[in-house]
Amino acid sequence: MTDTQTLIEPKQKVYFDLTTSPHLHSKWSTSKVMWFVVAALIPSIIAAITFFGWMQIFIIITAVVFAVGTEAAIQSIRKKKVTWFDGSAALTGLLLALTLPPNFSLSATAIGSVVAIGLGKQIFGGLGYNIFNPALVGRAFLQAAFPVQITTWVKPNFAVDSVTSATPLAAFKFDKIFTDTVPMAIGNVGGSLGETSAIAVLVGGILLIAVGIVNWRIPLSMIIGMFLFGGLFWFINPQNPSPVFHIFAGSFLFGAMFMATDWVTSPITNKGMWIFGLGISLVLVVIRIYGGLPEGVMYSILFMNGFVPLINRYTKPTIFGVVKEEKK
Amino acid sequence: MKKQVTLLKEFTKGLWEINPTFKQILGTCPTLAVTVSVINGIAMALATTFVLVFSSLIISLVRKLIPNQVRIAAYIVIIASFVTIVDLVMKAQFQDLSKALGPFIPLIVVNCIILGRAEAFASKNGPLRSVLDALGNGVGFFIALVIMGGIREVLGSRTFLGYQVLPNGFEPWLIMILPAGAFIVFGLLMGFSNMYVERKKNLEREALIAQYRRVGREEITDDVLKEAGV
Amino acid sequence: MKQVAHIIATLTLIGVIAGGSLSLVNNWAAPKIALNQKAETECAIYLVHLDGKRYEEIKNAGFEVYKVFNEADSSVGYSLVYSGNGFQGKIKLMIGLTEDLNKTTSIEVLEQSETPGLGTKILEPPYKDQYNGLVTTPSIKLVKGVEPSNPYEVQSITGATISSRAVVTIVNEGIAKLRAVENKGASK
Repeated sequence: MTDTQTLIEPKQKVYFDLTTSPHLHSKWSTSKVMWFVVAALIPSIIAAITFFGWMQIFIIITAVVFAVGTEAAIQSIRKKKVTWFDGSAALTGLLLALTLPPNFSLSATAIGSVVAIGLGKQIFGGLGYNIFNPALVGRAFLQAAFPVQITTWVKPNFAVDSVTSATPLAAFKFDKIFTDTVPMAIGNVGGSLGETSAIAVLVGGILLIAVGIVNWRIPLSMIIGMFLFGGLFWFINPQNPSPVFHIFAGSFLFGAMFMATDWVTSPITNKGMWIFGLGISLVLVVIRIYGGLPEGVMYSILFMNGFVPLINRYTKPTIFGVVKEEKK
Repeated sequence: MKKQVTLLKEFTKGLWEINPTFKQILGTCPTLAVTVSVINGIAMALATTFVLVFSSLIISLVRKLIPNQVRIAAYIVIIASFVTIVDLVMKAQFQDLSKALGPFIPLIVVNCIILGRAEAFASKNGPLRSVLDALGNGVGFFIALVIMGGIREVLGSRTFLGYQVLPNGFEPWLIMILPAGAFIVFGLLMGFSNMYVERKKNLEREALIAQYRRVGREEITDDVLKEAGV
Repeated sequence: MKQVAHIIATLTLIGVIAGGSLSLVNNWAAPKIALNQKAETECAIYLVHLDGKRYEEIKNAGFEVYKVFNEADSSVGYSLVYSGNGFQGKIKLMIGLTEDLNKTTSIEVLEQSETPGLGTKILEPPYKDQYNGLVTTPSIKLVKGVEPSNPYEVQSITGATISSRAVVTIVNEGIAKLRAVENKGASK
């Protein structure tokens, strides 16, 4: 056997570490970034536990454990280097957990994590090769698989009488009731674990922008896009929600800060980021106003994820320093 | 001259080697659409096999009479006749199944498995071989639809052929009976079947190399291996 | 020229044989299919009027509607087929109505393509049974999250508001249409 190997080795067993461009050197290593994003999510975790009870920590733990476990299992089956400690799988699990409704079934959470890592990431070849945001793939799977459970909300802990368990967006969609901005900013409304508290999301998000992990162009373009397109629909018909409501309701800010800005699945050019962010907002406004579902951040980000390769190609910067061939 | 294959092989090749669904990737439209339950898959596969066998038989019988320029038109008319027969019979006798399968019975006309076998096989071979080939492909299609339908029905509605197989505590995965579930299951099955084939090929290759080593053959290049068929 | 004739002859022959055999099969199948369809409509008509024994189609209504009679041959009301848009596609209902159109006897869903397990709950008892003896004046109303407090209210299915609302809308529209037709006196 060993003889055989030496014989065919020169022909077959030469491996290069291939990664996608851009090949930049940075003070940030992958794992450092991942753990930093996890840290930036701590305010949201605290908000989730404050408003929906300490039991929610089990959803988060389940999601993280199964995400990391799936990553390790698939990598070892495929005889690749096991990279569970680089934090990317843990981050996917954490992000998935924060998009789930409070008191969500733990077994379903585990399925979501397995799908997020298995179908969303490893099937494409692992970190860096996936087209779609893995956490959102997991959530989209859960949304389609368990549509009742994933839209069953609970009242937040400090609910006053006027606060119902319905999310502000569902209240708007089905009963035309608008929720005030203040409880939405604090997070004292029904909704997914990490999305309700706009302030907690903003604290983490601004931290990430400040240290340079998150490119400010994507969140900013999404917010500008929301003012443009959301404002347009509001202007045409004041029955539609205002841009401010759009921004604070649902998981818009959470998506803008943590989901759309995923390094792997967002455009690499500055111009591309603007197109990407504006596109998400446009699709989102259309879904929220005309769609069958009240919320559409997940679908609009996944939809625009699909366009990222195209955006990258279209916005490829001109190469300087190349002399045009003279016509003879 | 092409190698004469045994009659048995003519039948069995359709089961796996050139399985219409997983290898030729033909007829994916009904594969994805009707496999929400096993019974739908079985009915679809039986209807398709019926059309496949009879149209292959007729086409191989009349293959020398049909002018080459209009052969496709002639094939389609023959196939469409059998499909219409199946459709009418199902509407008359198996109304519920006919309703569940909806437009997919008439659509068998354009199922590429049938035209594919007619053009690739029945138009070049005798009736016996054509029927065997059609049967093999039909059974291969049947196997694929039952596997797909089985996975989707068990996970999506907890039942197999209508009998509950998973406990009530298991929350059914609705996605499995939605179109998205069809694509996921189909993709995974195809991936796993390719993985299996690849592994088998590698094992054969290694065995051959080991054998060459034993007989003391020095040069083992890709060309040599290709010639040996691995 | 000879080749063209050959082509035409072959195709004609195939067409004639195919057509001939199909007409044979159709002769056998057509009455059975017609019977099946009739049985199906009949079954649905009597499902919403359990005491019905005989029915009459009301013509010129612009939609399918049947007047149903009981054993004593007195009218027990109407069976109305009406459809509208659901969450993903058309929902087709058989609506049973009393003689004065002020109450539904029950409804039956004939066709739908709602989300399995969610929108399809409109087919199941807890929701469907609400239409047994539901008051239709002034019009049926959908309520969410609370128990119906008026005889004309229907409680929505959790997570499937759109499908629940679609059924209510279809029933209301159908009744409104039928009222218009009956006042015009298309029938008694």
